[in-house]
Amino acid sequence: MKKVLVVDDAGTVRMYYRKLLEEAGFEVDEAVNGLEALEKAMLTDYDLYIVDINMPQLDGYSFLQRLRGSEDLKQSPVLIVSTESEEQDKEKAFALGANFYLFKPVKPVEFIKYCKLLTGVAYE
Amino acid sequence: MLGQTVVRQGNDFVAFCKEEDIIITDEDFEKFTEFFYRKTGIRFDESKRYFVDRRLIERIKATGHKSFKTYFTFLRFEASGKELQNLINVLTVNETYFFREEYQLQCMVKRMLPEIVSRKKPGELIKIWSIPCSTGEEPYSIAIYLLEYWKDIDKWDVEIIASDIDTNALEKAKKGIYSERSIKKLPNHILLKYFAPCGKGEYQISEDLRNSIEFTRVNIVDPKETKRYRGFDIVFCRNLLIYFDDLSRKIAAENLYDAMNPGGFICLGHSESMSRITPIFKVRKFPEAIVYQKPLEEKDK
Amino acid sequence: MPIKKQEEKEEKLVEIKQERRRFQRDFEGLLKQLSCGTPTERRWAARDLADYKEASKHLLDQLLKEEDISVREAIISSLLKIGDEIAIQGLIECLRSDDAHLRNSAIEALKVIPEKVESHIEKLLKDEDPDVRIFAVNILESLRHPKVVKWLIEVLEKDENVNVCGTALDLLAEVGTEEAVPAIKKVKERFKDEPYIQFAADVALKRINAGSNSG
Repeated sequence: MKKVLVVDDAGTVRMYYRKLLEEAGFEVDEAVNGLEALEKAMLTDYDLYIVDINMPQLDGYSFLQRLRGSEDLKQSPVLIVSTESEEQDKEKAFALGANFYLFKPVKPVEFIKYCKLLTGVAYE
Repeated sequence: MLGQTVVRQGNDFVAFCKEEDIIITDEDFEKFTEFFYRKTGIRFDESKRYFVDRRLIERIKATGHKSFKTYFTFLRFEASGKELQNLINVLTVNETYFFREEYQLQCMVKRMLPEIVSRKKPGELIKIWSIPCSTGEEPYSIAIYLLEYWKDIDKWDVEIIASDIDTNALEKAKKGIYSERSIKKLPNHILLKYFAPCGKGEYQISEDLRNSIEFTRVNIVDPKETKRYRGFDIVFCRNLLIYFDDLSRKIAAENLYDAMNPGGFICLGHSESMSRITPIFKVRKFPEAIVYQKPLEEKDK
Repeated sequence: MPIKKQEEKEEKLVEIKQERRRFQRDFEGLLKQLSCGTPTERRWAARDLADYKEASKHLLDQLLKEEDISVREAIISSLLKIGDEIAIQGLIECLRSDDAHLRNSAIEALKVIPEKVESHIEKLLKDEDPDVRIFAVNILESLRHPKVVKWLIEVLEKDENVNVCGTALDLLAEVGTEEAVPAIKKVKERFKDEPYIQFAADVALKRINAGSNSG
């Protein structure tokens, strides 16, 4: 089973992604900000990180930087999902090592399609 | 369950005792645990339902409320944050004893100290701060662990400072007399080596150790008080910050940061995390534990 | 015994005082240190400037250029301590920054001084930038103002941006009261093609309606 770490400060957003991901056969862990995400990533190997940008303590870009700069953490794909909708936000994310970018609010089918794609799960 | 009525509320089955008219529904539990997780990083799942419900009901009654709903509004909006602190207190187990969270002491001698001494010149002092030290179990545990398990203890001088805001606790710590409960985790040979029975089932820690640790009173949230504490290589700040409100937590963490040497390490309690406090520390993972580190300065990297 | 108390207490204090004095302790000196020193020096300057009411503007100027997190955090703590209108306005302006870390630190900072932010909140909730409106809702999370639920209801009724409404729904799942139910049902209608809004609204409704009323 593929393991996903959902990183977002909004509880309802995490609940929503959890519902969609579990229905699609993923195992889900959560973190409320980039710092908690780094700590969880140190204890568990995740196959995919789903990351918000605007979060307290450590934002999504900073998390991405620390993740990609780390030699110990599993370098799994990062899917950024954010309300930040400018082209430059997307470019910045890709430049820092994100693999894909979706705007909030996500549409379930598209969201799961990309999660499966990024984790190499066959899409049905 | 005996003496309980089971009632269906919508899609939830809710059981409640005849004596108690306070119930915690599934939605209440979800709302509460999400709030608590956000604030503290501690997540209670369904398996902890009974544990949480019991204590919530306890607090609801203790604060004179008649339902979860009114209690939660009170909890959520109380200016001082005291009730949240009370709640954290009853929901977390906080007992002090020797060699508590031993994996951090192991991490200290196996990983942190070797890194620290690699950056020190021979003859330089190693400084360790235990704050809060409470009745002394923690700083004495640190001292014993260094003497027993750190292979380089004879090559370096170590200063241990133990601080607390509670002067009564400090007095007890200086006396160094402990009950069976406190020493229960100690291997026998350590008990024999460093403690002497002193009647009433109690043990006193050796005079040498009592004289080797400096006990001080400090309010960690006051930068004026923490100003004179500088140059620490390792800080143990376990099970304190979790009881503070958001602002005090941050202030305390900043004061600790300033008290540390670049490259110094800080250990929090096992259910605590800097993720609810501040991003200024680096997270380091060792086989035994996750600890936090004050970044090295550019020139030291 | 390799573990020993250090006796030279007086020397220690003098040493510390001397180290601090190497850095100018007067206002002008601190300002210079704030912008020109090493990260450690800048951090100390930021911390010490908390004692000077006139420092707000300078701290804010440095905040906008500062790249070291530990210095940023110290600047923000000092701004919060000074807490004058300049500091508050400055932090509010940071909500518009392109720098994600700065924006989010500003939100966290403003959340910590709810009493001082109250008077600005209504204006922020109507800001023309939807991101700023989202952050305003984030800040509401820490406000103990009796109007919080009413403000959230107004967002649901009037805000055109789906993510602003989504953020309001997330907060209502925690603080919502029966009063909010009609507005939540209406926003479901308004965004009936947005599955996330349907989900978030349903969560809020469940948490409000199923809240135990007994006792």
